[in-house]
Amino acid sequence: MVMKKIHWLLFTLTILCVSCELEQIPQASISKEAVFGDEKGLELYTNSLYDILPSANDVHRADCISDYASRRAAPAFLISGAYTPTSVDDDSQSAYSVVELGGDAGWTWESLRNVNYFIVNCSNPELTSKIPPDVRRHYLGVAKFFRAWFFFEKVKRYGDVPWINKPLDVEDPILYGPRDPRSLVMDSVLSDLNYACQNIKTTTEGTRSLITKYAAYAFKARVCLFEGTFRKYHTELGLTASANKWLTEAADAAKKVMDESGYKVYEGAGTTGSYRRIFTNPTPVNEEVILANIMNLSLAVTHNANWVYTSSTTGIRFNFIRTFINTYLKIDGTPFTETPGYETMLFKDEVKNRDKRLEQTIRMGSYNRLNVATPPSFGYSYTGYQPIKWCLDDPYYDGGSLNINSVSILRYGEVLLNYAEAKAELGTLTDADWALTIGKLRTRAGITGGLTTKPTVVDSYLKTKYFPDISDPVILEIRRERGIEMCMEGLRFYDLMRWKHGELLTMEWNGIYVPELVIPQDLNEDGVMDVAFYKETAPSTGATYNIDVSALVGGKPNTFRLKNDTYGELTWLNTIPRTWEQKNYYYPIPEADRLMNPALGQNTGW
Amino acid sequence: MKNILLLLFFLTSTSLYAQRITVNGTVTDIKGNALPGATVQVRGTNVGVLTDGSGKYSVDVPEPSAVIAFSFVGFVPKEIVVQNQTTINVALTEDIQGLQEVVVVGYGTQKKANLTGAVDQVTSEALENRTMSNLTQGLKGVVPNLNIKLLDGKPNQAPEYNIRGETSIGQGGSALVLIDGVEGDPAMVNPNDIASISVLKDAASASIYGARGAFGVVLITTKNPSKGKTSITYSSNLALRKPVAVPDLVSDGYTFAKMFAESFYNWENTFPTAVNKTLKFSQAYLNELERRSTNPLPTDKEVEIDSNGNYVYYASHDKYKELYKDYATGTEQNVSISGSSDAASFLLTGRLLSQAGIFRHNSDDYGMHNIRAKGAVQVFPWLRIENNSEYSDMKYHNPLNVGEGSGIWRNIADEGHVLAPMFNPDGTLTMSAAYNVGDFWYGRNGFDYVRRIIRSSSGFAAQFFEDKLRFKGDFTFRNTDYNEQRKQVPVPYSNKKDVILYLGTTTNDLRETIDVTKYLATNFYTEYENILGGSHYLKVLLGYNYEQSTYKRLRTQRNGLIFVDASNINLALGQSITTSGDWDRWNILGGFGRINYSFKDRYLIEINGRYDGSSKFPARQRFAFFPSFSAGWRISKEPFFKVSDKIISDLKLRASYGSLGNGNIDSYTYQEELTISQSGKVLNGVKPQDTSNPDVLPDGITWETATTQNIGLDISSISDRLRFIGDAYIRNTTGMFTIGMTLPAIFGTDPPKGNYADLKTTGWEMSLSWRDRFVVIAKPFNYEIRVTLADNKAVITKYNNPEKVLSDYYEGEVIGEIWGYITEGFFIDSADIADHADQRMFANNSKSQINQPGDIKLLDSDGSGKIDYGTDRIGDTGDKQIIGNSAAHYTYTINLNSDWNNVFVSAFFQGVGKQEWWPRYETSLFWGQYNRPYAGVPKWQLGNFWTPENTDAYLPRYVSRLANREGAMLREAPQTRYLQNIAYIRLKNFQIGYNLPTSLVSKIGATNLKVYFSGENLWTWSPLYKHTRDLDVENTGPSDQLFTSSNAGDGYNYPMLKNVTFGLSVTF
Repeated sequence: MVMKKIHWLLFTLTILCVSCELEQIPQASISKEAVFGDEKGLELYTNSLYDILPSANDVHRADCISDYASRRAAPAFLISGAYTPTSVDDDSQSAYSVVELGGDAGWTWESLRNVNYFIVNCSNPELTSKIPPDVRRHYLGVAKFFRAWFFFEKVKRYGDVPWINKPLDVEDPILYGPRDPRSLVMDSVLSDLNYACQNIKTTTEGTRSLITKYAAYAFKARVCLFEGTFRKYHTELGLTASANKWLTEAADAAKKVMDESGYKVYEGAGTTGSYRRIFTNPTPVNEEVILANIMNLSLAVTHNANWVYTSSTTGIRFNFIRTFINTYLKIDGTPFTETPGYETMLFKDEVKNRDKRLEQTIRMGSYNRLNVATPPSFGYSYTGYQPIKWCLDDPYYDGGSLNINSVSILRYGEVLLNYAEAKAELGTLTDADWALTIGKLRTRAGITGGLTTKPTVVDSYLKTKYFPDISDPVILEIRRERGIEMCMEGLRFYDLMRWKHGELLTMEWNGIYVPELVIPQDLNEDGVMDVAFYKETAPSTGATYNIDVSALVGGKPNTFRLKNDTYGELTWLNTIPRTWEQKNYYYPIPEADRLMNPALGQNTGW
Repeated sequence: MKNILLLLFFLTSTSLYAQRITVNGTVTDIKGNALPGATVQVRGTNVGVLTDGSGKYSVDVPEPSAVIAFSFVGFVPKEIVVQNQTTINVALTEDIQGLQEVVVVGYGTQKKANLTGAVDQVTSEALENRTMSNLTQGLKGVVPNLNIKLLDGKPNQAPEYNIRGETSIGQGGSALVLIDGVEGDPAMVNPNDIASISVLKDAASASIYGARGAFGVVLITTKNPSKGKTSITYSSNLALRKPVAVPDLVSDGYTFAKMFAESFYNWENTFPTAVNKTLKFSQAYLNELERRSTNPLPTDKEVEIDSNGNYVYYASHDKYKELYKDYATGTEQNVSISGSSDAASFLLTGRLLSQAGIFRHNSDDYGMHNIRAKGAVQVFPWLRIENNSEYSDMKYHNPLNVGEGSGIWRNIADEGHVLAPMFNPDGTLTMSAAYNVGDFWYGRNGFDYVRRIIRSSSGFAAQFFEDKLRFKGDFTFRNTDYNEQRKQVPVPYSNKKDVILYLGTTTNDLRETIDVTKYLATNFYTEYENILGGSHYLKVLLGYNYEQSTYKRLRTQRNGLIFVDASNINLALGQSITTSGDWDRWNILGGFGRINYSFKDRYLIEINGRYDGSSKFPARQRFAFFPSFSAGWRISKEPFFKVSDKIISDLKLRASYGSLGNGNIDSYTYQEELTISQSGKVLNGVKPQDTSNPDVLPDGITWETATTQNIGLDISSISDRLRFIGDAYIRNTTGMFTIGMTLPAIFGTDPPKGNYADLKTTGWEMSLSWRDRFVVIAKPFNYEIRVTLADNKAVITKYNNPEKVLSDYYEGEVIGEIWGYITEGFFIDSADIADHADQRMFANNSKSQINQPGDIKLLDSDGSGKIDYGTDRIGDTGDKQIIGNSAAHYTYTINLNSDWNNVFVSAFFQGVGKQEWWPRYETSLFWGQYNRPYAGVPKWQLGNFWTPENTDAYLPRYVSRLANREGAMLREAPQTRYLQNIAYIRLKNFQIGYNLPTSLVSKIGATNLKVYFSGENLWTWSPLYKHTRDLDVENTGPSDQLFTSSNAGDGYNYPMLKNVTFGLSVTF
């Protein structure tokens, strides 16, 4: 009986064993075959490629390393010896290092692998045979747009980089190979962009969040203008012969957008409101914005521009300098800098009768927040020219990442500027082109003169303060226009690079004119004294802010000074000299990677 | 409950009037020494007496067939049938306790005397009369080298169990915890159900569990039905709980504001315009605060209204006072009903635990319910069928702050400014409060966790050939449900009369998570045990085990709650909808065996082996065989060992060796997966799902292996009064699954992992106990002292970091080492600064790296003229060196137990002998405004920072951000001066109780009635307390880890709690 039971038990045991299959397949994730075998899968994957685009915060802070703004501390990149190949991507860099580098985290390649994995598999007919060819090409076009975006960022930053078009495996010799020449990489970028322009099916898309054919053309114009001018002015590359080819590509791509896309300069809120609305509207201003980071409170997607620009500690206190503010034209279209005595004009006066973009860019005059007159605050500002471009007027948004205004990445205004500049550099810009581009933008800004014919006189202020090498009045004016129209949109640093004017980044950080000590100024003429300057001991001035401009504070050189000690333009942080060297046109290749792969070489001077 | 008591009273009060016989006698030991205070109990009645000072007793028995039980601590009890004897003299033999003790081991039990592996066991005594939120918390420190690292004091805090230190830096791995033989969650077990907890520490003991036992096994065994008559035990207690440490911060508004402005200015070089985000600040405001402080006027109000209608605050409001209750109550009710007959036995237990939260508002209430039913039926003399079923649930409410999302402690440090009161004059919240305590007061936001376990095990045990051959089998299923609901609604506040604003407008949502784990396990094994030829003992075990676990998760989130009190997702109407799921299944299959052989109880040998298969490994590697060996030599049993029992009663040497694969890894590690997640971007009007390139999979990887060598020594001496158990071990974890050689960045993803690293953990543990008794006023006084001590150290012996860069693990690294600098002192004057090595690498100010008197001066220990860390790799670390170790070393316990005349007193101390802590950045609880300028000021810092008049202060010049900003001195340069010694000793439990005399208790029909007082964490001392008591020494870890993944802000944590408990237990 006992044995019978044992047999029975052993039998049960055997049954149990047979049912034990130890192969388990994941069910909450997806296989490559499933992703690339279906249009839905391609869409699902391409959604992750959008992370290559700069985020809203990247865009609104990207110009914090630029010639037209002062900030709390000088960027390490501009302090001699402070920035080295080993400090790149180093965690101990300041929180703004990423921003200093133009929204690009540097020598990182993760997103490229992601794009290449897609392109390689989406091009594999074994996987995608069930997908109609035009659909497959559409998604490939979108992916190639992003790959072009990726490499454009890399070339801007490093010059030569390795061109990689597949996900590498551990053994791939490319890992230890040299960098490819700039021309090869940029030709590949152009080829990707051409593919994108030709194959992306979407021509218009209401939310301005997806890549369309005309977003590809607009971006192509930006890339080609960059490359064309870079080759033209950086003669040391020996690529000047090809500059015009790129400039022509830029003009043609821009023209394509101007002729076919239906975008236009937004003028719906008049000369005093249209410009600013593009940057403060919750949804992108559809007439003008081609591609944007969409904010959506109900989806809890917000950015932090108000916080960054109104906090004394969260932001870096980005504020325009006076030299740049001086470039805003008068309302009649003539240079402000030709006004007698402009250099000693008080803030409250100098901001009057100017290009109406000025009042839509900084706190001044009647600017108010919830009907409370709001002058520039010397709690946040070092110069007095406090930006409002990306900020909402309700102080509620100041206390956290709360902004609900969408942040544009590509907009029609830039396409016009790219077209004008490319044509001007080619020497083929006509009065009609001028009217269609710069004239159009200045009209929106309420400027009344010089809208239909291209300028013929060189502006001496621009030439002496900014671009001594340029004698063409058209190019000078286009550069003025670009600086004003596109300020704080993340283009400035690389504009200076391609124009070969990196030295402008060392420009003195100057602020409002101060005629004498102790006497307070009412910056917005609301009857409240806003700021006064003093030396040694704080007087009772009745002003909201009293700023010590003594030579020494606490035994150390003061960072706030007046140009002539007791009067003159305010200056900030002249104590820390900024320098520009030829090597700064490229960032250094990180030392750690160079040690692993000496074939990478190093950019000259680093 | 009342009904049960009544019923019991009737049941037990029947047999009191019958024929009586009086029995007298003396109780002695074998040598005839009288045993005073021995218990003489008539079986099945409530009648019992104690022997007097000369061992004599007199007791009435109801009938001649009555049985008298004689017992005395430390002696083997004896029972004698009366049979008309009127004089019964009894000689009790001493219980060589350690040698008779039975220890639970894998798939069976073993006499402690015959153990060859490293196994430690504690019984229910270790948990008795203690108040704990869950079993895991109660086990902290109880077993040497069973390391339970409580991250904070939350009642649902239940970390994984670690045995003997660092396991693997690759896959990780903790101990396998089995409850009655089946994997389970110890935090959900009723602590009163526990009979014993056995910890299998070495590979030899654990190898029978195969791959999952690579880092030890904890076997929790629940109580079985008691033999004999039915008994009911009811116990109840009331506990009062409060935080061990509450930060003692400056609550005077002016002092705070002045220090805020000073620290702010010293870093920024500008005067602050706001106190973080919630309060405007200016010189005029500071002046007004000073005026109110020095010259208060009766018209001064805490809240004033300025010309724009905005509120201006002048309060001195301690947010911590508002946060915590003075004390929180908790109650626990337990009932246990047990009984057996010849054929059947049963045990039914139940527990209700209810603990009110310590938060004054939005109280974090915690509760647990447990029911267990155990029964067995002896179907045939050779076959027994049994079932063990349990149900438990746990509920916890964890309030949250919508303002910033972090834990409340961080939010208080950032926005809980003393200047702002809770409320405005119209009763609305201030903005400052809304970021933290005000949100709690609003009372809507939080997590609700519910965890539920239903488990049932059915089994059989059959025996043949006079119990020489046994078969056992069981089948278990267990469903674990975990539900989590998170609610976040905006919090209204006001800055201006009649203008209501909201904090957290980006939230307003409800999130529901449902996790279900279905688990099943079956074991079947057979055992043959025999003594051959009188001296050859042999036991052979063979078995089979299969387990499968399936996990499924569903999570949905939707915004737009139609009203703030809505609690069902149907009432969320917004368009931000997120859904996600997860699924995971693994199964394992194993055949195992064990052979125990001993010769004349002198030479002991054990061989274990398991052939294990797991779905977590690729097909080629799925199965592996794990053998282990251990042996023991009982020297005291050797004929040549002539030492008297009085000196050495037992002496045993043990050694073991075993090697186990680490199966504690995630499922699907070896498969290419494209995971789907939600994009952070708004595309085409929604935040769409996306997927991206999969991780690169390695070729040909295999199991991590943990190999343990263990030697042990057991000594019993002085008639078993003094006992020593010691073990030392080396555990090599080889082929750890870690990241491969760093590849050039253009590779574009992490290099594939592989079996690249090795780790060596060495350690030892010992316990020493002394028990004895003596007579005090004719009553025996029994006492026991037990001391345990353990230590371990883990060193990386192989790692893919040929350059030995310190930002990664490196070969030779001791786990836990803290790198830093040597603090030389403070700069005295500018000459001192000029003479000193260049230390501009560390900022003392936002703009310039120019030092001032009072700034920290670091020692240029390499004499390079520059304070730096070289290339930050071993051999070139500049001035950086190892200054401490963050791992706990020399963990120890001291147990004191005594009883006398039914009074018992015990104390359990627990502590760490050596451990260092560097207060990392964001640790405002330590750094105060040296972290962020607007943080609360710890009172201990007052007068304790450098000023020209106070140059030998502990803290440097008063500069904010030093511990906060990247590049700043106290954040980037851990250093000797502020390295904290967090060794400690803690009175983990103290209890005193009284067992009412049987004579008294029997009047209500009970057999036992006990009242007690018990306290947890009543006293602590640590060198840290020289500086601060603002945070508990056990609570210095990263912020609120159950709640956020951010690791910034050490000590911003739910406090450790102390409690006092009054309890009562009665048995019928």
